[in-house]
Amino acid sequence: MKKFIIFVAALLLSCVPVMAVGAEGAQTAGGVPLWLCIPFAGLLLCIAVFPLVRPLWWEKYQAWIVAFWSLVFLIPFGLTNGAGMAAETALECIVNDYLPFIVLLFGLFCVAGNITLEGDLAGSPRINVALLLFGTLLSSWVGTTGASMLMVRPLIKMNSWRKRKRHIMVFFIFLISNIGGCLTPIGDPPLLMGFSRGVPFFWSLRLFPLMLFNTVILLFVFYWLDMRAYRMDIAAGMKPDISKPGTQVRIRGLHNLVFLVMIVAAVILSGTLPTLPAFQTAEGEVLGLVLPGGVRLTVPSVIEMTIILVAAFLSFRTTDASVRKENHFTWGAIEEVAVLFVGIFITMQPALLLLKTYGASLGLDSPMELFWATGALSSFLDNTPTYLVFLTTACALNFTEGVATTLGTVPTAMLSAVSCGAVFMGANTYIGNAPNFMVKAISDENGIRMPSFFGYLLWSLLFLGPVFLLDALIFFR
Amino acid sequence: MKEDSKQLIELAGRIYDLDTEVYRVLGSGLGRVFSGSRDARVRDMVHYMTAQPDGHVLRSEIALIGNMARTIPDKAERSRLMREYDAILKQVEALPNSFAAGDILDEGLASLNSSAQLSGRFGEGNHLIICIGRTYGSAGTDIGFALADTLKINYYDSEIFTEVLERLEADKEDVMDRASFAHKQNLNQSIDVKDRSFREKLREFNRYHGLPKEDAVFFNQSDLLHEMAQREDFVIMGRCADVILTNQRIPHISIFINAPFELRARRVMETDELSYKNACKLLRQLDRRHRKYYQFYTGRQWGNSVNYDLCINSASYGIEGSVKLIERIINQHTKR
Repeated sequence: MKKFIIFVAALLLSCVPVMAVGAEGAQTAGGVPLWLCIPFAGLLLCIAVFPLVRPLWWEKYQAWIVAFWSLVFLIPFGLTNGAGMAAETALECIVNDYLPFIVLLFGLFCVAGNITLEGDLAGSPRINVALLLFGTLLSSWVGTTGASMLMVRPLIKMNSWRKRKRHIMVFFIFLISNIGGCLTPIGDPPLLMGFSRGVPFFWSLRLFPLMLFNTVILLFVFYWLDMRAYRMDIAAGMKPDISKPGTQVRIRGLHNLVFLVMIVAAVILSGTLPTLPAFQTAEGEVLGLVLPGGVRLTVPSVIEMTIILVAAFLSFRTTDASVRKENHFTWGAIEEVAVLFVGIFITMQPALLLLKTYGASLGLDSPMELFWATGALSSFLDNTPTYLVFLTTACALNFTEGVATTLGTVPTAMLSAVSCGAVFMGANTYIGNAPNFMVKAISDENGIRMPSFFGYLLWSLLFLGPVFLLDALIFFR
Repeated sequence: MKEDSKQLIELAGRIYDLDTEVYRVLGSGLGRVFSGSRDARVRDMVHYMTAQPDGHVLRSEIALIGNMARTIPDKAERSRLMREYDAILKQVEALPNSFAAGDILDEGLASLNSSAQLSGRFGEGNHLIICIGRTYGSAGTDIGFALADTLKINYYDSEIFTEVLERLEADKEDVMDRASFAHKQNLNQSIDVKDRSFREKLREFNRYHGLPKEDAVFFNQSDLLHEMAQREDFVIMGRCADVILTNQRIPHISIFINAPFELRARRVMETDELSYKNACKLLRQLDRRHRKYYQFYTGRQWGNSVNYDLCINSASYGIEGSVKLIERIINQHTKR
């Protein structure tokens, strides 16, 4: 565990070159010096600081900043490992990680944007708790991104009469965008990765008590916070328009649920197809188009993206534009996420390479250690490779009892710890999980003053920290 | 000072109008930055401009309007609104560090609530509205009724509640009038606990727009009071009317009537034919219920003198004396 703490500390402080130089033995990993993590830290710092100090400037030059930090990583990486290696790393990360990620996000963003809830249902603590609970339970069946995109606008709309509502969106991210996705491989990409490595599809249902425990605590806290804010709003004279007797709720664009199902099916296919012999070469590799540098764009991935894009296209063609207008549908949120995450995906490569190299030698051999290690790194890095690294670590411990995967046998407690760490702690930061930033961007566009990057971190430390501590003490001791 | 204040109100009004315009042009149904009435939001903004610790809040909220404005698809409209946004932003950034100095007078509050300003409070077209809060047993209800009679204006208490029920198409048996002294025999019994079928619960959910029914009643009461204030003079008993009207920037006079507990208990023993012990118990329960109700919906402390223009110990003046006292003050300052 000590090694892990040193590893995380070095990763986080890697923006201080002096430290990196001094950290003997951890300076390189497969040709990756530790200081190459500086661009990642720099980009995160920009995302955290610029929207606060120079919002207009940030909005205008966001793409340039992203390009700058990406080059700050790629150029030195190219100089130390060769231009070919740098190009291959960038291509690999864009084709295999970023592209499926952004296409899925885009598809769900489009389809959910074509469904609108009309009516005069007024947001109150009771309703909000019910909606958060519903969304949390839905997350495992349509994915955290799907549930987030589907629920975010109705929730914003119902609470539009209120002034104090940022806490609603923060808890939305905690519960719907993250914790709710732990029950099935559809819920969150790390679990899908586990499924494709042989973890049974319904195995994650065992995590239900954990999810329930976290959800109940967070919803209690949320209710208290929301009631306080609600009362303050009423005291300040805010009130919903309920002048007409009776509520008329109407959902327009409901047929888009078909396209949502299409997208969910595409995600499941992307996890199952690579394991089928029909999609494998004689050498056992997944069939695909080989790009320069040996980067492979796999057929299952192409199938997944095609289905998602077709679903998005059909959704647009079959839905009246007035639905999107009513939803205040703009490309701003997805554009921001697309721009920022291409940089995040590229600049996080050194950190992931370091993790792959040192992950197994960190000496993590108990569920609690695995829970915190997977979680802490999933908060900042892509949680799918993080999950895979620690699953591999757990499988390499030569246990004979537990869940049999293609990587080896892993005890149930350890698999639970890795799964929960990866899924739950994605909620710790805006960049921890794909929908987090989308929810923030959509809220920002619709009159909700969301916390800054560090502000959100404070929220998660304050409310999620104690809950995760309880998780560790009760379930992973 | 007055000049500064005028400028701030004008600037806040421009911000509010910009938000409204952006929202209108977008045609979005998802809400806006400054929801609620113009007057209330303008007042909040002026507060943010003058209260330095909160100054950044306003800047962030204006930035949110900018966020929305930038998403307007129509180029000409976007450019027009962004120009206005930039102009406003410059003006906000140019605000001096502090506008608040010297006097303890809260001008916003004073224009509504300070008796010193009573003479200038009711302008052309404003109606005389008197909000009376009272403790049970202090004869506040009788004073309110007699006052309305003396001033020849309407008197409202539970009539408001009945009207609200009509608007909500709800049955009287379904909702407790928590703002009144009715249901005093059933203080420990809530109507809510009655067993209801799922269908009835669903109907109730639909009727009250998903809100707890007490809140739906309160919101409707607020709307009703606002409408009434546009068309007539009246005396209104309780129902947080003082705060509702303050929030809606409607001039009114707020009065709280109380009396020593012992005297109230003695009066309740007579009027309700109760033993001393039961009268004390009833008073304590009713006080608790009203304190809770008032604090829940207003965030203020019920009966705290700073919340009212005038607090009267009815035991010192009696019903007639209290009415005369209030009438004298009103006539002196409002030149009725």
